Amino acid sequence: MKWFRISSYVVLGMVVLIGFSTFVSAQEKVTLRFSDWHLTESPWDKTLADAMALFEKRNPNIKIALEPVSYKEKETKYTVELAAGKGPDIFHVHAFSLPMFFDKGFAMDLTAFIEKEGGAKFLEPWYPLCMNLMKHKGKVRAMPGDYMSMVLVYNTELFKAAGLDPKKLKTWEEFLEYNKKLTKAPERWGIALPGAKDPGFELRFSPFVWSFGGDYLTKDYKKSALDSKEAKEAFTFFIELYTKHKVMPPGVTSMNPQDVRTQLAHRKIAWEIGSGWTAPIVNAINPELKAFDVLDAVPLPVKKNKVTTIWLSSWVMSPNTKHPKEAWELMKFITSKEMELNWFVKNRVTSSRKDVSEKAPEILNDKFASVIASQLPYGKVVPQIPQWPEIVDTFTTAVQEAMTEMKPPEKALADAHERINGILARKK
Amino acid sequence: MKLIKIKDQHMWIPFVFPGTLLLVLVLGFPAIQSILYSIYPEGGGSSYTFSNYSVLFKDSIFRQVFGNTALFVTLSVASHILLGLGVALILNKEIFAKPLFRLIALLPWVVPDVVAGIIWKWMYDPIYGALNDLLIKVGLISTHIPWLYNPRLALLSVVFVNLWRGFPFVMLILLAGLQSIPRVLYEAAAIDGASRWQLFSRITLPSLKKMFVVALALDIVWEVRRFGLIQAMTQGGPGTITEVLSTYIYKQYFQFFRFEYASAVSVIMTIALLMISLPYIWMISQEE
Repeated sequence: MKWFRISSYVVLGMVVLIGFSTFVSAQEKVTLRFSDWHLTESPWDKTLADAMALFEKRNPNIKIALEPVSYKEKETKYTVELAAGKGPDIFHVHAFSLPMFFDKGFAMDLTAFIEKEGGAKFLEPWYPLCMNLMKHKGKVRAMPGDYMSMVLVYNTELFKAAGLDPKKLKTWEEFLEYNKKLTKAPERWGIALPGAKDPGFELRFSPFVWSFGGDYLTKDYKKSALDSKEAKEAFTFFIELYTKHKVMPPGVTSMNPQDVRTQLAHRKIAWEIGSGWTAPIVNAINPELKAFDVLDAVPLPVKKNKVTTIWLSSWVMSPNTKHPKEAWELMKFITSKEMELNWFVKNRVTSSRKDVSEKAPEILNDKFASVIASQLPYGKVVPQIPQWPEIVDTFTTAVQEAMTEMKPPEKALADAHERINGILARKK
Repeated sequence: MKLIKIKDQHMWIPFVFPGTLLLVLVLGFPAIQSILYSIYPEGGGSSYTFSNYSVLFKDSIFRQVFGNTALFVTLSVASHILLGLGVALILNKEIFAKPLFRLIALLPWVVPDVVAGIIWKWMYDPIYGALNDLLIKVGLISTHIPWLYNPRLALLSVVFVNLWRGFPFVMLILLAGLQSIPRVLYEAAAIDGASRWQLFSRITLPSLKKMFVVALALDIVWEVRRFGLIQAMTQGGPGTITEVLSTYIYKQYFQFFRFEYASAVSVIMTIALLMISLPYIWMISQEE
């Protein structure tokens, strides 16, 4: 009995010791909340999960809690949480959302971290345009992520069947003629463009207005420029693709980019304005299409200017994070040369790092990435001002009103022009 | 230790206090915060101002949104009352498998707003939607109708879905009222030679008066606050044709970061709701 009693005490002591050490190690382990809309998209979700597992392996004291968020609702979710003093430690947003986050103090100042890494030398690998967009009042408050240009992604089989070669495409007028030949409604239409109030709309519409020689706002961002002859011409051309020439499918005013990609995946349209993410997502929607083989890319056509929209994403650290050092390690990992190349290899997104986008053979030899990278010099960004979400919503309202023939295009655009002037004139 | 002795007439305090405190924290604090936000100047500043209210009353979009809300609520509530009353009258009769039919009638109400919006958005889809497909097959239409993208049909299409989803609530209230009407009234009237219409108009409707007020007041409040259904189906589009106060406030606050302006619109919406609920509150207080 005595040895039984002693051995019981020893076992009990071991159990307490193991439990205590587990508790202590659990306490020492830091959990970082990582949020990204890509976690709701295939194949990005797997790519990110694998990357985070690798980060955890390299940093055993850090655990990553993955938090998916819908593409459309991410700003809403982050705003609410950050205003309440919480929010994910690291989250992913478009660069054009940054002014709003900066304005409200929802992004950590990264200057001190960057100084410790070597300051300007640390930032050298990134494109200067990208780094400038990450700054607010001289301080770096985010790190750039994906850097892509918008191009035409097309189905080679449908074009071959129609006897068309998009590599010969030069002008918007030829673009219209191509679409007319490709449209065989109701089985198939030439093209679909998102018409819903969605961040993807401005990426696709902007090349129209800029290429035609117009713009949304004046250079000083103080007034609307939608009353110019060029802006009106671009707007009317875009609207008439749907209302007059009927080369877009019905319901386009409610389509977001994923709806358009679904149309492409199911051969309901022959091409769309997209970028490096298009082929992997289309492939995930309909593997039977064999998107990587069937799809190809060409630059956008030209009217007066050769121009395209730049897509730039950014990584933000919450100002409320309780683990800034660990969060910075995660941010460095995500934006490292190794990971930026990984994002390309797995998901075909080109990088804001010059040492990746201009040097990596995987990118230079890829049929999509080579076209995307070749258009980066012609890239332009939408206005980076806090009022931009309201301005683009007003503009999209005008597009929907014109497309559904609630108003003639000129009236819809004129009303938007007046309203945008009112938005810009508001005292701030 | 001296025990605190609570007098009998104060015994209710410790029971009511926790719930009241919770209500104050969950409802009262945000409400006061919202009112304060609404009188801060947009863009920051220390002095209070009513400029947000003057801006919103001058805004043509706000006036349109207010009008859309009034139209949406009127059509929704009227259709709920009519269909709810019709179904309640049927379910009040002795019919075969009455419990089953009551359950079926209640089913749309258990579907969450957003889920109903997403399901119906797909059903209304002009290319893939089941509704167009069905109507074409039965020969009622010859081409696909863009239900949610035609400005003349968009709001009506949303109201139809709201009718499908919302009538069971009104039906339940009116059914409860119907079941409380003494049968002897109908029997006596029938003996006196009353027609079916007279039975309905002279006995049923007057007896349901209080229930109508309850259903009307509650349904109006709920429909003014309707958000998930509209956001899921149209997000206020095309243009601003289906934009209502709830989606407008959401947009101003969460997408445009206009916290002060959105709070002002919320206050206006709350005042409108309070005015609508006054007859109901007055009726309840009269009964007490």
